[in-house]
Amino acid sequence: MNVLDLLPPLAHVGHWWTYVLYAVPVVIVLGSVVMTLLKERHRDGEGEK
Amino acid sequence: MDLLIPVAHALVGKEDLPIPEWLFAWGASLVLIVSFVALTLLWKRPRYEEDGWRPVSAGVSRALVNRVGGFVAGALGAFLLGVVVWAGLQGTEAPDRNLALTFVFVTFWLGVVVASVLFGDVFRAFNPWRAIARAVAGGFRLIAGQAPPPPLRYPERWGRWPAVVGIAGFAWLELVWGQSGFGSVGLTPHTVAIATLAYSAWTFVGMALFGIDRWIERGEAFSVYFNMFSRLAPLEVREGRLGRRRWLAGTVGWAVVPGSVALILLTIGATAFDGAAEGLLQEPIRSTFDGLTDIGVGPLASQRIANSLFFGVTVAIVAGIFWGGIAGMHTVRNVTGTRELGRLFAHSFIPIGLAYLVAHYFSLVVYQEQAQFTYLLSDPLGDGSDYFGTANAGIDYTLIGARATWYVQVGALVVGHVLALVLGHDRALATYSDPQTASRSQYWMLAMMVGFTTLGLFLLSQANQ
Repeated sequence: MNVLDLLPPLAHVGHWWTYVLYAVPVVIVLGSVVMTLLKERHRDGEGEK
Repeated sequence: MDLLIPVAHALVGKEDLPIPEWLFAWGASLVLIVSFVALTLLWKRPRYEEDGWRPVSAGVSRALVNRVGGFVAGALGAFLLGVVVWAGLQGTEAPDRNLALTFVFVTFWLGVVVASVLFGDVFRAFNPWRAIARAVAGGFRLIAGQAPPPPLRYPERWGRWPAVVGIAGFAWLELVWGQSGFGSVGLTPHTVAIATLAYSAWTFVGMALFGIDRWIERGEAFSVYFNMFSRLAPLEVREGRLGRRRWLAGTVGWAVVPGSVALILLTIGATAFDGAAEGLLQEPIRSTFDGLTDIGVGPLASQRIANSLFFGVTVAIVAGIFWGGIAGMHTVRNVTGTRELGRLFAHSFIPIGLAYLVAHYFSLVVYQEQAQFTYLLSDPLGDGSDYFGTANAGIDYTLIGARATWYVQVGALVVGHVLALVLGHDRALATYSDPQTASRSQYWMLAMMVGFTTLGLFLLSQANQ
Protein backbone atom coordinates (compact mmCIF):
# COMPACT_ATOMS: atom_id res chain seq x y z
CA MET A 1 0.00 0.00 0.00
CA ASN A 2 1.22 3.47 -0.81
CA VAL A 3 1.52 5.61 2.31
CA LEU A 4 0.28 8.56 0.26
CA ASP A 5 -3.10 6.85 0.21
CA LEU A 6 -3.19 7.09 3.97
CA LEU A 7 -2.38 10.80 3.98
CA PRO A 8 -4.74 12.41 1.51
CA PRO A 9 -5.02 15.74 3.31
CA LEU A 10 -1.25 16.15 3.59
CA ALA A 11 -0.50 14.75 0.16
CA HIS A 12 -2.70 17.28 -1.59
CA VAL A 13 -2.32 20.44 0.44
CA GLY A 14 -0.22 22.02 -2.24
CA HIS A 15 3.30 23.10 -2.88
CA TRP A 16 3.86 25.76 -0.22
CA TRP A 17 2.63 23.72 2.71
CA THR A 18 5.43 21.22 2.26
CA TYR A 19 7.87 23.97 3.23
CA VAL A 20 6.37 23.92 6.73
CA LEU A 21 6.61 20.14 6.88
CA TYR A 22 10.34 20.30 6.15
CA ALA A 23 10.79 22.84 8.94
CA VAL A 24 9.07 20.67 11.57
CA PRO A 25 12.09 18.52 12.57
CA VAL A 26 14.35 21.58 12.74
CA VAL A 27 11.90 23.46 14.96
CA ILE A 28 11.40 20.44 17.24
CA VAL A 29 15.14 19.78 17.65
CA LEU A 30 16.07 23.44 18.03
CA GLY A 31 13.27 23.96 20.58
CA SER A 32 14.35 20.85 22.49
CA VAL A 33 17.97 22.00 22.54
CA VAL A 34 17.09 25.43 23.91
CA MET A 35 14.64 24.02 26.47
CA THR A 36 17.09 21.33 27.63
CA LEU A 37 19.98 23.76 28.00
CA LEU A 38 17.82 26.28 29.88
CA LYS A 39 16.58 23.54 32.20
CA GLU A 40 20.11 22.25 32.80
CA ARG A 41 21.41 25.75 33.42
CA HIS A 42 18.63 26.35 35.92
CA ARG A 43 19.39 23.05 37.65
CA ASP A 44 23.13 23.84 37.76
CA GLY A 45 22.32 27.26 39.27
CA GLU A 46 20.20 25.65 41.97
CA GLY A 47 22.94 23.12 42.69
CA GLU A 48 25.46 25.90 43.27
CA LYS A 49 23.12 27.57 45.79
CA MET B 1 25.08 22.48 -14.48
CA ASP B 2 21.89 22.74 -16.51
CA LEU B 3 24.04 23.71 -19.39
CA LEU B 4 25.62 20.33 -19.85
CA ILE B 5 22.66 18.12 -19.47
CA PRO B 6 19.30 19.43 -18.46
CA VAL B 7 17.94 16.14 -17.18
CA ALA B 8 21.04 15.18 -15.23
CA HIS B 9 19.54 15.83 -11.84
CA ALA B 10 17.15 12.99 -11.55
CA LEU B 11 13.53 13.83 -11.94
CA VAL B 12 11.70 12.07 -9.17
CA GLY B 13 7.96 12.04 -9.48
CA LYS B 14 6.33 12.01 -6.06
CA GLU B 15 4.13 9.19 -7.18
CA ASP B 16 7.25 7.05 -7.63
CA LEU B 17 8.13 7.14 -3.95
CA PRO B 18 6.45 5.07 -1.25
CA ILE B 19 6.24 8.07 1.09
CA PRO B 20 6.27 11.84 0.46
CA GLU B 21 9.67 13.48 0.18
CA TRP B 22 9.23 15.57 3.33
CA LEU B 23 8.73 12.38 5.32
CA PHE B 24 12.27 11.39 4.32
CA ALA B 25 13.46 14.56 6.06
CA TRP B 26 11.63 13.50 9.20
CA GLY B 27 13.14 10.02 8.98
CA ALA B 28 16.63 11.40 8.40
CA SER B 29 16.23 13.68 11.41
CA LEU B 30 15.16 10.70 13.49
CA VAL B 31 18.27 8.77 12.42
CA LEU B 32 20.40 11.73 13.50
CA ILE B 33 18.71 11.97 16.89
CA VAL B 34 19.16 8.24 17.52
CA SER B 35 22.82 8.48 16.42
CA PHE B 36 23.34 11.42 18.76
CA VAL B 37 21.90 9.48 21.72
CA ALA B 38 23.99 6.41 20.84
CA LEU B 39 27.17 8.51 20.65
CA THR B 40 26.42 10.13 24.00
CA LEU B 41 25.87 6.78 25.68
CA LEU B 42 28.54 4.67 24.02
CA TRP B 43 31.38 7.00 22.88
CA LYS B 44 33.02 8.18 26.08
CA ARG B 45 36.57 9.04 25.09
CA PRO B 46 38.11 10.73 22.05
CA ARG B 47 39.37 8.30 19.42
CA TYR B 48 40.33 10.58 16.56
CA GLU B 49 42.86 12.88 18.21
CA GLU B 50 45.53 10.39 17.10
CA ASP B 51 45.09 9.29 13.50
CA GLY B 52 46.86 5.97 14.04
CA TRP B 53 48.95 6.35 10.85
CA ARG B 54 51.17 3.33 10.24
CA PRO B 55 53.35 2.73 7.20
CA VAL B 56 52.38 -0.13 4.93
CA SER B 57 55.10 -2.61 4.01
CA ALA B 58 58.09 -1.04 2.27
CA GLY B 59 57.53 -3.09 -0.89
CA VAL B 60 53.90 -2.02 -1.32
CA SER B 61 54.83 1.59 -0.57
CA ARG B 62 57.66 1.54 -3.12
CA ALA B 63 55.42 -0.06 -5.74
CA LEU B 64 52.79 2.68 -5.38
CA VAL B 65 54.85 5.72 -4.44
CA ASN B 66 58.05 6.09 -6.44
CA ARG B 67 59.82 8.57 -8.69
CA VAL B 68 58.86 6.86 -11.95
CA GLY B 69 55.20 6.67 -10.97
CA GLY B 70 55.28 10.30 -9.84
CA PHE B 71 56.81 11.36 -13.15
CA VAL B 72 54.26 9.41 -15.20
CA ALA B 73 51.34 10.77 -13.12
CA GLY B 74 52.61 14.34 -13.43
CA ALA B 75 53.15 13.95 -17.17
CA LEU B 76 49.63 12.55 -17.56
CA GLY B 77 48.22 15.50 -15.58
CA ALA B 78 50.11 18.00 -17.75
CA PHE B 79 48.94 16.16 -20.89
CA LEU B 80 45.30 16.33 -19.78
CA LEU B 81 45.65 20.03 -18.99
CA GLY B 82 46.94 20.51 -22.52
CA VAL B 83 44.05 18.48 -23.96
CA VAL B 84 41.50 20.62 -22.13
CA VAL B 85 43.01 23.84 -23.44
CA TRP B 86 43.39 22.39 -26.95
CA ALA B 87 39.80 21.10 -27.04
CA GLY B 88 38.50 24.37 -25.63
CA LEU B 89 40.32 26.53 -28.14
CA GLN B 90 40.13 24.32 -31.22
CA GLY B 91 36.98 22.26 -30.70
CA THR B 92 33.31 22.83 -31.28
CA GLU B 93 31.49 25.46 -29.25
CA ALA B 94 28.68 22.97 -28.56
CA PRO B 95 29.26 22.34 -24.84
CA ASP B 96 27.95 18.78 -24.82
CA ARG B 97 30.15 17.69 -27.75
CA ASN B 98 33.41 19.21 -26.51
CA LEU B 99 35.57 17.32 -24.02
CA ALA B 100 36.64 20.46 -22.16
CA LEU B 101 33.45 21.15 -20.20
CA THR B 102 32.63 17.62 -19.12
CA PHE B 103 36.24 16.93 -18.24
CA VAL B 104 36.69 20.06 -16.12
CA PHE B 105 33.30 20.20 -14.38
CA VAL B 106 32.55 16.49 -13.98
CA THR B 107 35.58 14.21 -14.36
CA PHE B 108 38.01 16.60 -12.69
CA TRP B 109 35.87 18.65 -10.27
CA LEU B 110 33.72 15.75 -9.05
CA GLY B 111 35.70 12.64 -10.02
CA VAL B 112 38.87 13.66 -8.20
CA VAL B 113 36.82 14.25 -5.04
CA VAL B 114 35.67 10.63 -5.13
CA ALA B 115 39.23 9.40 -5.81
CA SER B 116 40.54 11.56 -2.95
CA VAL B 117 38.03 10.19 -0.46
CA LEU B 118 38.87 6.60 -1.41
CA PHE B 119 42.62 6.71 -2.04
CA GLY B 120 43.93 9.86 -0.36
CA ASP B 121 45.55 12.91 -1.90
CA VAL B 122 46.00 11.48 -5.40
CA PHE B 123 45.73 14.88 -7.04
CA ARG B 124 49.13 15.83 -5.63
CA ALA B 125 50.72 13.26 -7.95
CA PHE B 126 48.63 14.22 -10.98
CA ASN B 127 48.70 17.99 -10.39
CA PRO B 128 49.73 19.41 -13.78
CA TRP B 129 50.90 22.77 -12.43
CA ARG B 130 53.13 21.09 -9.84
CA ALA B 131 54.56 18.76 -12.50
CA ILE B 132 55.28 21.58 -14.95
CA ALA B 133 56.78 23.81 -12.24
CA ARG B 134 59.03 21.02 -11.01
CA ALA B 135 60.16 20.30 -14.57
CA VAL B 136 60.92 23.99 -15.14
CA ALA B 137 62.80 24.24 -11.82
CA GLY B 138 64.78 21.11 -12.77
CA GLY B 139 65.57 22.58 -16.19
CA PHE B 140 66.70 25.83 -14.59
CA ARG B 141 69.09 23.95 -12.29
CA LEU B 142 70.45 21.99 -15.25
CA ILE B 143 71.01 25.01 -17.48
CA ALA B 144 72.04 27.60 -14.89
CA GLY B 145 74.02 25.15 -12.79
CA GLN B 146 72.48 26.58 -9.64
CA ALA B 147 69.23 26.38 -7.70
CA PRO B 148 66.45 28.90 -8.50
CA PRO B 149 66.35 31.91 -6.18
CA PRO B 150 64.77 31.10 -2.79
CA PRO B 151 61.05 31.88 -2.60
CA LEU B 152 59.46 34.60 -0.50
CA ARG B 153 58.14 33.63 2.90
CA TYR B 154 54.45 32.77 2.62
CA PRO B 155 52.47 34.96 5.06
CA GLU B 156 50.95 32.59 7.64
CA ARG B 157 47.91 34.82 8.12
CA TRP B 158 46.94 34.16 4.49
CA GLY B 159 46.39 30.53 5.43
CA ARG B 160 44.18 28.88 2.82
CA TRP B 161 42.53 32.13 1.73
CA PRO B 162 44.13 32.22 -1.76
CA ALA B 163 42.62 28.78 -2.34
CA VAL B 164 39.24 30.01 -1.09
CA VAL B 165 39.40 32.82 -3.64
CA GLY B 166 40.28 30.30 -6.37
CA ILE B 167 37.45 27.91 -5.49
CA ALA B 168 34.99 30.81 -5.22
CA GLY B 169 36.09 31.93 -8.69
CA PHE B 170 35.72 28.42 -10.11
CA ALA B 171 32.27 27.98 -8.53
CA TRP B 172 31.22 31.41 -9.79
CA LEU B 173 32.38 30.54 -13.31
CA GLU B 174 30.34 27.35 -13.20
CA LEU B 175 27.25 28.49 -11.35
CA VAL B 176 26.93 32.15 -12.31
CA TRP B 177 28.84 32.86 -15.51
CA GLY B 178 27.74 29.63 -17.14
CA GLN B 179 24.49 29.21 -15.30
CA SER B 180 20.96 30.00 -16.02
CA GLY B 181 18.01 28.49 -14.28
CA PHE B 182 16.13 30.05 -17.18
CA GLY B 183 17.19 31.14 -20.67
CA SER B 184 20.55 29.39 -20.75
CA VAL B 185 23.51 31.76 -21.12
CA GLY B 186 26.22 29.32 -21.76
CA LEU B 187 29.69 28.58 -20.60
CA THR B 188 31.53 27.86 -23.80
CA PRO B 189 34.50 25.51 -24.13
CA HIS B 190 36.48 28.53 -25.34
CA THR B 191 35.80 30.37 -22.06
CA VAL B 192 36.84 27.29 -20.10
CA ALA B 193 40.12 27.11 -22.02
CA ILE B 194 40.85 30.81 -21.41
CA ALA B 195 39.96 30.45 -17.73
CA THR B 196 42.27 27.41 -17.51
CA LEU B 197 45.14 29.38 -19.02
CA ALA B 198 44.49 32.36 -16.74
CA TYR B 199 44.38 30.11 -13.66
CA SER B 200 47.58 28.36 -14.79
CA ALA B 201 49.35 31.73 -15.06
CA TRP B 202 48.11 32.72 -11.57
CA THR B 203 49.32 29.39 -10.16
CA PHE B 204 52.77 29.64 -11.74
CA VAL B 205 53.17 33.18 -10.36
CA GLY B 206 52.17 31.92 -6.89
CA MET B 207 54.66 29.04 -7.12
CA ALA B 208 57.43 31.32 -8.37
CA LEU B 209 56.88 33.73 -5.51
CA PHE B 210 56.32 31.37 -2.60
CA GLY B 211 57.78 28.04 -3.70
CA ILE B 212 56.12 25.09 -5.42
CA ASP B 213 55.27 23.02 -2.36
CA ARG B 214 54.15 25.93 -0.19
CA TRP B 215 51.78 27.24 -2.86
CA ILE B 216 50.43 23.73 -3.48
CA GLU B 217 49.82 23.32 0.23
CA ARG B 218 48.11 26.67 0.83
CA GLY B 219 47.33 28.65 -2.31
CA GLU B 220 46.62 26.31 -5.21
CA ALA B 221 42.84 26.07 -5.07
CA PHE B 222 42.34 22.53 -6.37
CA SER B 223 45.18 21.03 -4.34
CA VAL B 224 43.72 22.51 -1.17
CA TYR B 225 40.17 21.53 -2.13
CA PHE B 226 40.95 17.90 -2.99
CA ASN B 227 43.30 17.61 -0.02
CA MET B 228 40.39 18.59 2.23
CA PHE B 229 38.40 15.59 1.02
CA SER B 230 41.45 13.30 1.10
CA ARG B 231 41.52 13.86 4.88
CA LEU B 232 38.58 11.46 5.07
CA ALA B 233 40.60 8.69 3.37
CA PRO B 234 42.44 5.89 5.15
CA LEU B 235 45.61 6.36 3.08
CA GLU B 236 48.25 9.07 3.29
CA VAL B 237 51.82 9.49 2.06
CA ARG B 238 54.23 10.93 4.64
CA GLU B 239 57.80 11.69 3.70
CA GLY B 240 57.55 9.47 0.67
CA ARG B 241 56.09 6.52 2.56
CA LEU B 242 52.53 5.27 2.09
CA GLY B 243 50.65 4.55 5.29
CA ARG B 244 47.22 3.65 6.60
CA ARG B 245 45.21 5.54 9.15
CA ARG B 246 41.67 5.45 10.51
CA TRP B 247 38.93 6.66 8.15
CA LEU B 248 38.04 10.31 8.90
CA ALA B 249 40.99 10.72 11.29
CA GLY B 250 42.97 12.91 8.89
CA THR B 251 40.36 15.65 9.23
CA VAL B 252 41.19 16.43 12.85
CA GLY B 253 43.09 19.69 13.12
CA TRP B 254 42.62 20.48 9.44
CA ALA B 255 40.58 23.61 10.06
CA VAL B 256 42.96 25.43 12.41
CA VAL B 257 44.67 27.05 9.40
CA PRO B 258 43.03 30.43 8.51
CA GLY B 259 40.58 30.22 5.61
CA SER B 260 39.69 26.57 6.20
CA VAL B 261 36.28 27.32 7.71
CA ALA B 262 35.48 29.55 4.74
CA LEU B 263 36.51 26.79 2.33
CA ILE B 264 34.20 24.13 3.74
CA LEU B 265 31.30 26.60 4.08
CA LEU B 266 31.86 27.72 0.49
CA THR B 267 31.88 24.09 -0.65
CA ILE B 268 28.52 23.42 1.00
CA GLY B 269 27.10 26.80 -0.01
CA ALA B 270 28.06 26.47 -3.67
CA THR B 271 26.40 23.05 -3.94
CA ALA B 272 23.35 24.32 -2.07
CA PHE B 273 23.10 27.26 -4.48
CA ASP B 274 23.33 24.97 -7.50
CA GLY B 275 20.39 22.99 -6.11
CA ALA B 276 18.42 26.04 -5.05
CA ALA B 277 18.87 27.80 -8.40
CA GLU B 278 17.07 24.88 -10.04
CA GLY B 279 14.10 25.09 -7.73
CA LEU B 280 13.60 27.23 -4.67
CA LEU B 281 15.49 30.30 -5.93
CA GLN B 282 14.19 30.23 -9.49
CA GLU B 283 11.46 32.76 -8.83
CA PRO B 284 13.53 35.17 -6.68
CA ILE B 285 16.30 35.11 -9.30
CA ARG B 286 13.78 35.78 -12.04
CA SER B 287 12.23 38.67 -10.07
CA THR B 288 15.65 40.23 -9.47
CA PHE B 289 16.46 39.75 -13.15
CA ASP B 290 13.22 41.51 -14.13
CA GLY B 291 13.93 44.34 -11.70
CA LEU B 292 17.41 44.85 -13.12
CA THR B 293 16.31 44.77 -16.74
CA ASP B 294 13.50 47.26 -15.88
CA ILE B 295 16.09 49.80 -14.75
CA GLY B 296 18.04 49.36 -17.97
CA VAL B 297 20.66 46.75 -17.14
CA GLY B 298 21.32 44.39 -20.07
CA PRO B 299 19.78 40.89 -19.90
CA LEU B 300 23.07 39.01 -19.66
CA ALA B 301 24.46 41.31 -16.97
CA SER B 302 21.12 41.18 -15.11
CA GLN B 303 21.20 37.42 -15.10
CA ARG B 304 24.74 37.30 -13.81
CA ILE B 305 24.16 39.95 -11.17
CA ALA B 306 21.01 38.18 -9.95
CA ASN B 307 22.79 34.81 -9.80
CA SER B 308 25.82 36.37 -8.07
CA LEU B 309 23.56 37.95 -5.49
CA PHE B 310 21.76 34.73 -4.62
CA PHE B 311 24.99 32.74 -4.72
CA GLY B 312 26.31 35.10 -2.03
CA VAL B 313 23.04 34.88 -0.09
CA THR B 314 23.12 31.06 -0.11
CA VAL B 315 26.71 30.90 1.13
CA ALA B 316 25.80 33.49 3.79
CA ILE B 317 22.84 31.35 4.95
CA VAL B 318 25.07 28.27 5.21
CA ALA B 319 27.66 30.32 7.12
CA GLY B 320 24.87 31.71 9.32
CA ILE B 321 23.69 28.22 10.29
CA PHE B 322 27.28 27.19 11.06
CA TRP B 323 28.21 30.25 13.12
CA GLY B 324 24.81 30.22 14.85
CA GLY B 325 25.46 26.66 15.99
CA ILE B 326 29.00 27.48 17.05
CA ALA B 327 27.74 30.52 18.99
CA GLY B 328 25.25 28.22 20.73
CA MET B 329 28.05 25.80 21.51
CA HIS B 330 30.02 28.70 22.95
CA THR B 331 27.29 29.42 25.48
CA VAL B 332 27.63 25.94 26.99
CA ARG B 333 31.07 26.58 28.40
CA ASN B 334 33.46 29.34 27.56
CA VAL B 335 36.56 27.29 26.71
CA THR B 336 37.76 29.55 23.92
CA GLY B 337 36.54 32.31 21.57
CA THR B 338 33.76 31.67 19.08
CA ARG B 339 36.06 31.97 16.07
CA GLU B 340 38.52 29.50 17.59
CA LEU B 341 35.66 27.15 18.43
CA GLY B 342 34.59 27.30 14.78
CA ARG B 343 38.09 26.28 13.71
CA LEU B 344 38.11 23.43 16.22
CA PHE B 345 34.88 21.95 14.87
CA ALA B 346 34.81 22.90 11.17
CA HIS B 347 36.52 19.66 10.10
CA SER B 348 33.32 17.85 11.13
CA PHE B 349 31.65 19.51 8.15
CA ILE B 350 33.91 17.90 5.53
CA PRO B 351 31.63 14.81 5.35
CA ILE B 352 28.69 17.18 4.87
CA GLY B 353 30.46 18.87 1.98
CA LEU B 354 30.96 15.42 0.47
CA ALA B 355 27.35 14.41 1.17
CA TYR B 356 26.01 17.54 -0.55
CA LEU B 357 28.23 16.85 -3.58
CA VAL B 358 27.14 13.20 -3.84
CA ALA B 359 23.48 14.03 -3.30
CA HIS B 360 23.45 16.79 -5.86
CA TYR B 361 25.74 15.46 -8.57
CA PHE B 362 25.39 11.67 -8.41
CA SER B 363 23.15 11.36 -11.44
CA LEU B 364 25.18 13.97 -13.35
CA VAL B 365 28.36 11.94 -12.84
CA VAL B 366 26.69 8.64 -13.79
CA TYR B 367 25.35 10.11 -17.03
CA GLN B 368 28.20 12.40 -18.04
CA GLU B 369 30.97 9.89 -17.36
CA GLN B 370 29.38 7.66 -19.98
CA ALA B 371 29.90 10.52 -22.42
CA GLN B 372 33.39 11.20 -21.09
CA PHE B 373 34.64 7.69 -21.69
CA THR B 374 32.86 7.07 -24.99
CA TYR B 375 32.16 9.80 -27.53
CA LEU B 376 34.04 12.63 -25.85
CA LEU B 377 37.13 10.42 -25.59
CA SER B 378 36.93 9.42 -29.24
CA ASP B 379 35.95 12.83 -30.50
CA PRO B 380 37.25 15.40 -27.98
CA LEU B 381 36.86 18.37 -30.31
CA GLY B 382 33.46 17.36 -31.59
CA ASP B 383 34.78 17.58 -35.15
CA GLY B 384 33.83 14.09 -36.27
CA SER B 385 37.01 12.26 -35.22
CA ASP B 386 36.75 8.71 -33.93
CA TYR B 387 40.06 7.83 -32.24
CA PHE B 388 38.80 4.83 -30.26
CA GLY B 389 35.74 3.79 -32.25
CA THR B 390 33.28 5.03 -29.62
CA ALA B 391 32.33 8.37 -31.18
CA ASN B 392 28.81 7.23 -31.95
CA ALA B 393 27.99 5.97 -28.47
CA GLY B 394 25.33 7.71 -26.42
CA ILE B 395 24.28 8.17 -22.82
CA ASP B 396 22.07 5.49 -21.33
CA TYR B 397 19.64 7.45 -19.18
CA THR B 398 18.02 4.25 -17.97
CA LEU B 399 21.21 3.14 -16.21
CA ILE B 400 19.84 4.35 -12.88
CA GLY B 401 16.24 5.06 -12.12
CA ALA B 402 14.79 8.16 -10.54
CA ARG B 403 13.88 6.28 -7.40
CA ALA B 404 17.38 4.80 -7.00
CA THR B 405 18.86 8.27 -7.43
CA TRP B 406 16.61 9.65 -4.71
CA TYR B 407 17.64 6.87 -2.33
CA VAL B 408 21.32 7.54 -3.05
CA GLN B 409 20.72 11.23 -2.33
CA VAL B 410 18.94 10.56 0.94
CA GLY B 411 21.51 7.93 1.95
CA ALA B 412 24.43 10.26 1.21
CA LEU B 413 22.92 13.08 3.23
CA VAL B 414 22.12 10.86 6.21
CA VAL B 415 25.51 9.10 6.28
CA GLY B 416 27.40 12.38 5.78
CA HIS B 417 25.61 14.06 8.66
CA VAL B 418 25.97 11.06 10.99
CA LEU B 419 29.73 11.10 10.28
CA ALA B 420 29.76 14.82 11.05
CA LEU B 421 28.07 14.07 14.37
CA VAL B 422 30.74 11.45 15.10
CA LEU B 423 33.60 13.87 14.36
CA GLY B 424 31.94 16.68 16.32
CA HIS B 425 31.27 14.43 19.30
CA ASP B 426 34.84 13.13 19.29
CA ARG B 427 36.27 16.65 19.11
CA ALA B 428 33.93 17.79 21.91
CA LEU B 429 35.24 15.02 24.17
CA ALA B 430 38.76 16.28 23.54
CA THR B 431 37.82 19.95 23.96
CA TYR B 432 35.63 19.90 27.06
CA SER B 433 36.75 18.65 30.43
CA ASP B 434 33.91 16.22 31.06
CA PRO B 435 31.70 14.06 28.82
CA GLN B 436 28.52 15.74 30.12
CA THR B 437 29.60 19.20 28.95
CA ALA B 438 30.83 17.68 25.69
CA SER B 439 27.38 16.20 25.08
CA ARG B 440 25.69 19.46 25.95
CA SER B 441 27.84 21.31 23.42
CA GLN B 442 26.80 18.78 20.83
CA TYR B 443 23.12 19.53 21.24
CA TRP B 444 23.92 22.45 18.97
CA MET B 445 25.79 20.21 16.58
CA LEU B 446 22.70 17.99 16.40
CA ALA B 447 20.53 21.03 15.64
CA MET B 448 22.94 22.06 12.86
CA MET B 449 22.96 18.53 11.42
CA VAL B 450 19.18 18.33 11.35
CA GLY B 451 19.16 21.79 9.76
CA PHE B 452 21.62 20.90 7.03
CA THR B 453 19.99 17.51 6.34
CA THR B 454 16.52 18.93 5.95
CA LEU B 455 17.88 21.86 3.93
CA GLY B 456 19.64 19.41 1.60
CA LEU B 457 16.54 17.25 1.16
CA PHE B 458 14.34 20.31 0.80
CA LEU B 459 16.52 21.72 -1.98
CA LEU B 460 16.61 18.37 -3.77
CA SER B 461 12.86 17.97 -3.52
CA GLN B 462 12.32 21.49 -4.87
CA ALA B 463 14.74 20.85 -7.73
CA ASN B 464 12.78 17.71 -8.54
CA GLN B 465 9.44 19.51 -8.79
